[in-house]
Amino acid sequence: MLSLAAVTDSPTKRPLRDDATNVLGVRIHDPLDRSVEPSWLEQREGPGAPARFLLQQPESVVGRASDVDFAIESSLISRRHAVFVQNGPEVTCRDLDSSNGVYLNGVKVHSALLHEGDTLQIGDVVLLFHEGR
Amino acid sequence: MALFVRFWGTRGSIPTPGFKTKRYGGNTSCVEVRTDESVFICDGGTGLRELGQDLIRRATPPPMHLFFSHMHWDHIQGFPFFVPAYADHNVLSVYEIAPGQTRIRELLTGQMRSEYFPVSFCDLGAKIQSGYLEHQGKLIDGVKVRCISQHHPGTSYAYSFEQGGKKVVYSTDNELDLWLADPNLCITSPESLRILPSEFVDFVRNADLLIADGQYTEEEYPTRIGWGHARTNTVVDLAVQAGVKQCAIFHHDPMQTDDDVDRKLERAEERARRHGSNLVIFGAREGMELKV
Repeated sequence: MLSLAAVTDSPTKRPLRDDATNVLGVRIHDPLDRSVEPSWLEQREGPGAPARFLLQQPESVVGRASDVDFAIESSLISRRHAVFVQNGPEVTCRDLDSSNGVYLNGVKVHSALLHEGDTLQIGDVVLLFHEGR
Repeated sequence: MALFVRFWGTRGSIPTPGFKTKRYGGNTSCVEVRTDESVFICDGGTGLRELGQDLIRRATPPPMHLFFSHMHWDHIQGFPFFVPAYADHNVLSVYEIAPGQTRIRELLTGQMRSEYFPVSFCDLGAKIQSGYLEHQGKLIDGVKVRCISQHHPGTSYAYSFEQGGKKVVYSTDNELDLWLADPNLCITSPESLRILPSEFVDFVRNADLLIADGQYTEEEYPTRIGWGHARTNTVVDLAVQAGVKQCAIFHHDPMQTDDDVDRKLERAEERARRHGSNLVIFGAREGMELKV
């Protein structure tokens, strides 16, 4: 059981952390925790799946080339296929004139602002977008 | 050469900010059709404000051409907040439907009277010139622009933009259902293709992208007849008849949440498949850009 002293103790000793669980095993989010969880991509299909890509930089490029941020070895993916651009809390995906395009929830797009649960298809790779917080 | 189409406002009637409308967006009608040279703006709803912010971030302000489907609030409210209109080095062309008309300019001026807004139209810094469309269409910066009247209280207009063999049609606030050759068919045989006037079908024919008002579901429409908006299913039938490749359902009802719009679209897709069509159908959403 948590004591009042523990709750009001210094921040480094705060008992409720982001990964804390209550007695029912449910995760408890500490409202005082100001840490930022970045947006991320969950690779569900395609070479290398399953995988997880954290969008931590202002721009992250996905492609077949070895010098991109998220390199995926697939002949259906262009060397620099698409870029994920962060603008504050928003993430936009933009096609970099790839051969096979970028499909957002089944629709071919040039660019799109992403939301939780959006599915992106890039060649034979399927990515699920998760918003950060 | 390609046409780039970006949605800045997709909501009908009134802005709907909030968590439940986050994916499709809460701003009212504004669509950008862009070429390498110019920007064609369809409607000045609240989405126009963000388009303006984006335009001033671009390297060189392009020539801007504004077209209004009609002048109801949700299609003009963004104009006083359109920052490029305040900069002296910009040139905006606002298009009337026919030569000699001044109606659109007068109404834009009217909504900036001091009773409504603190800055008057005549204090805008940009050069705002009036243009007009000709009956056969007009070539504007290499893009053929045509218009046709629609069924809406007070009348509205659809526009088509054609360049390099590509065609985009913007058709919002059009109650297609009042144009049906046999309105009873929707009741007696709801799955049957709804036949629309050939003149309008020809206007839309073979569009690579049709952006169309599909505000209402079948269940919503009967209590909203005469309000000037179409059923999504009727838009699907228009697109199928006209051989459209992609159809963006637009002008989402303010009462519809993102999940409601998803359900509306699922039914629209099913209908297109039942008609044996390969039409790509999706919901227009803010921040989405297509290369046509």
